[in-house]
Amino acid sequence: MQSQTDGKRWVTASGIALKDFYLPSDIPDSHRKVAETAPGEPPFHRGAYPSGYRTKPWRIFQLSGFGKPEDENERIKFLLEQGETGFLMEHDRNTADHLYNVDHPEVAARREDVGLTGAVMQSVRDIDICLKDLPIDNTYGHAGGAVVQHAPFALAGYWTVAQRRGYDLKRLPGTGQSDYFLTYLGCVTKQQVPTDAGLRLNADIIEFCNEHLPRWVPVSIAGYNGADSGLNAPQELGALFANAVEYLEEIKRRGRMPLAQAARACGGVSFRISMDVFEEASKLRAARLMWTQLLKEHYDIADPKVSNLRIHVVTAGSRMQYQQPLNNIVRGTLMGLAAVLGGVQSLGVSGYDEALSIPSEHAHQMSVRIQQILQQETNIAAVTDPLGGSYYVETLTAQLIERAWAFFDEIQQQGGFLACLDSGWLHQQAAENQHKEFLAQAEGLQQIVGVTDHTDDVSPFEVDGFMGVDDAYDVALKRLNTVRRERHESGARGAMQALEQACRNEDNIMPAMMAALNAEVTLGEIGDIYREAWGDWATPIQT
Amino acid sequence: MSDVTSPEQNKRILMAKTGLDGHWRGPTIVATALRDAGFEVIMIGMVKAEEVVQAAIDEDVDLIGLNIGGHIDVAVRAVQSIQQSCQGVPVFAGGVVPPHAKRKLEALGVEVYPPGSQLPEIVSAARRLTGLSGALPASD
Amino acid sequence: MHYPQVIETTRELFEEASRGDRRSLARLISAAERGEALPGMPLAFQDDETCLCIGITGAPGAGKSTLVSALTQELLKTEPCAAVLAIDPSSPVSRGALLGDRVRMQTHSMAQNVFIRSMATRHHHGGLALATQSARRLLQHCGWPLVIVETVGVGQVELDVVKTADVIVVVLNPGWGDEIQANKAGLMEVADVFVINKADRPGLESTRRDLEAVLLNRPADNRPIIVETVASKGLGIAELAGALAKVRRELSSNGTLATRRTEQLALELEQQVERQLQAALKTVRQSKMFEDSLQRVAHGQDSIAAAASKITVQVLSRPPEHGNR
Repeated sequence: MQSQTDGKRWVTASGIALKDFYLPSDIPDSHRKVAETAPGEPPFHRGAYPSGYRTKPWRIFQLSGFGKPEDENERIKFLLEQGETGFLMEHDRNTADHLYNVDHPEVAARREDVGLTGAVMQSVRDIDICLKDLPIDNTYGHAGGAVVQHAPFALAGYWTVAQRRGYDLKRLPGTGQSDYFLTYLGCVTKQQVPTDAGLRLNADIIEFCNEHLPRWVPVSIAGYNGADSGLNAPQELGALFANAVEYLEEIKRRGRMPLAQAARACGGVSFRISMDVFEEASKLRAARLMWTQLLKEHYDIADPKVSNLRIHVVTAGSRMQYQQPLNNIVRGTLMGLAAVLGGVQSLGVSGYDEALSIPSEHAHQMSVRIQQILQQETNIAAVTDPLGGSYYVETLTAQLIERAWAFFDEIQQQGGFLACLDSGWLHQQAAENQHKEFLAQAEGLQQIVGVTDHTDDVSPFEVDGFMGVDDAYDVALKRLNTVRRERHESGARGAMQALEQACRNEDNIMPAMMAALNAEVTLGEIGDIYREAWGDWATPIQT
Repeated sequence: MSDVTSPEQNKRILMAKTGLDGHWRGPTIVATALRDAGFEVIMIGMVKAEEVVQAAIDEDVDLIGLNIGGHIDVAVRAVQSIQQSCQGVPVFAGGVVPPHAKRKLEALGVEVYPPGSQLPEIVSAARRLTGLSGALPASD
Repeated sequence: MHYPQVIETTRELFEEASRGDRRSLARLISAAERGEALPGMPLAFQDDETCLCIGITGAPGAGKSTLVSALTQELLKTEPCAAVLAIDPSSPVSRGALLGDRVRMQTHSMAQNVFIRSMATRHHHGGLALATQSARRLLQHCGWPLVIVETVGVGQVELDVVKTADVIVVVLNPGWGDEIQANKAGLMEVADVFVINKADRPGLESTRRDLEAVLLNRPADNRPIIVETVASKGLGIAELAGALAKVRRELSSNGTLATRRTEQLALELEQQVERQLQAALKTVRQSKMFEDSLQRVAHGQDSIAAAASKITVQVLSRPPEHGNR
């Protein structure tokens, strides 16, 4: 039996040395008192709500999308029928992440890639098709816009569709993401706005939601994307809160909305849960406690409604292996279990075919089934924070907090989260961890069943990559041209000018963005306006 | 510093990403491992097929590594361009390559290293494909 | 690169390269990098003031590649073409290298009037400057009169490379007061133009002040121009091109360019001699004479200095290796 060691000692995935067993005396004094609080009361490490999953079962929330907007619509409906309790829209990453239309040369040169990672949505018409017959007035929807520069378009599109259907934005539930970790750290795009322009966009979204969409979660910092790029557990925590500080400082600087409201807006985050069950569960407990500490100590905010962190978890995509892919069903289950033990508000389980492609319908169904089995067959929902009081878990929680604040401080000393993205320092931390991990695998210190070990495969069938549909590009191009032909051109031009103006002055960009979407301005045109106004981020990595 | 290996052995590898998918984790780890094995690794980022060809010519490389992050047809086009314009330069590939895509690439003579491939495997493939034989010299 | 058709001789490669064949040019540069003999290598640019080599240096992370890319774009408004030699360090342990400068030069990835070549330092003693000089000469001979050399400005080897350029640009960032104070590697003395890149970052004013203070040590008629840029946004690049044009005019008119090229040649000569001496030493090291001297020293029969003198005589009496450039 060999598990996680650094060659000498047993350690957690992030390298915290582990004892054979833990005693009450191992829990640091500073944490002992905290450990005795009840779930649902500050500092919340034991859980956001006292009755836990009994009254608030976690939301089954799966990333989904490919092909044409109608293909994505169909898949979302399938997932809702299967028991998903919220839905996520995924936009095609070639176009969305870069704000390119499909006829951009970079996209046209890779036309077969279009629609492979999400549905192509270039105008409000496409978003309308994607949302066809979906009960968006009362279902928690993720509008897409995972990427910072894409979020204003995705959100404004979703909201415009809602308005056109006669829904009151004041009552509309849902979320976007606008996450830096995704494209500034994990999956760096070819072209995107500089980090300071991104901060402006995110602060605009927070302010706009505060005024017009009180039930909407405006941004969601996704430590997930940092962790799946290589940041370990305490680094993921430290970087996530350093990111939150950037938002809060910007809102404070602007002085246009109460800081507590902004803190509430930033308090819906996402984490990655990987295979080290207890470290990862402890991480979620640590996160809730840290948020309470941060708000109290840095911003003098103690309102429990604000300092109560809400957590979405996605299981680690990078842990899903290419070899013997059915093993990934077990991995998904274990990571899902760790998340649920740590306490989550919503959960997505990666598809078992993650290492090969986006999820097939069957892989998607399995991800939902895993969650349903956890909810309905294991009695796990009966008691809140079942790990609370474990000498081991409480000690680990305290150790993670200590290390995470140290990493947070390191980031702050270098000018903050955005400065550390600009300089490439965070990329370096992530890359070093990844490199170590690969070496550990090569040296046999870390084993992966079916990959480094037990490699005989007697699978009864081949799991092959799901390739979606093959007409996404052609249809998207046709629709783009139709929009250009049919829209009220002078209205669209006027909206673009107004948007350009808003980019260049200090106004909130969102009203102009809503007007632009309503006037059927397209994704690529918005990208051109951004690029003209702000230029490109100077990416600190070289691959 | 003494000349342990002569500069003649400095083989050059071009690394390119054919998709617009910016996952840099895998390619960076592979590039670093190749550097640590003594290769000069020239990275060119997310590029189109004709850009790979142009860089391969100007940089006079011995091997081309493609990171594939999308539809197999895009990768196949890149491989065909390379084979047409850089005759004799071998190509190997990694990234998200499901079995059906792997078979297509292998039919074109491209060695494929899907996720889960171990670094020593990739390094020894690079040595073999650039005409260096035998095991890695022990590092000094 | 392997060739199906047989282009065997350097001469043939020269002919093809001069006719504009990029493969042949690329292959010749590889040969130059390996230190191979290139008989018939012309010295055309020596007196040719239509040729120019701009050296751009600065610490890692200063934004050199982005700056070079933007500058190239700007210079192409008036120049027909431009070549870039982007040099990065080799790992001292493995001798491998990661060469990533092209990622930031993608604007030019399909341009027929831009030739980019990545080079690793390869740790040959002084050989890097030789290789760079050979590559530059090849490029200029083959129709690329404008060559930009980008290198990491740390250490003597890189400083030698910088000195092979006609015009020298040093890139700094705001907040680098200490770098300036430390006067890294003598760069302050050789620069013609200083660029403060990423000038939209905090600390610009104090960096400029520190720089100006250090430059007071240079004679008033030979004080470098300071240009502020944000290369990623294309800001200040036209000013940089203007500064370079001004420097070029001055260097030509006051004869400095000719002096510098003579110095470049002297350096090249010196390094070529060094290279040959090293090759000779390597051979002598294997000889019985060396082994005997070593034994004498080891047994206290000879002093190190005396033995070394004898060996040096032996090294110097060896006929130079043929075909070494």
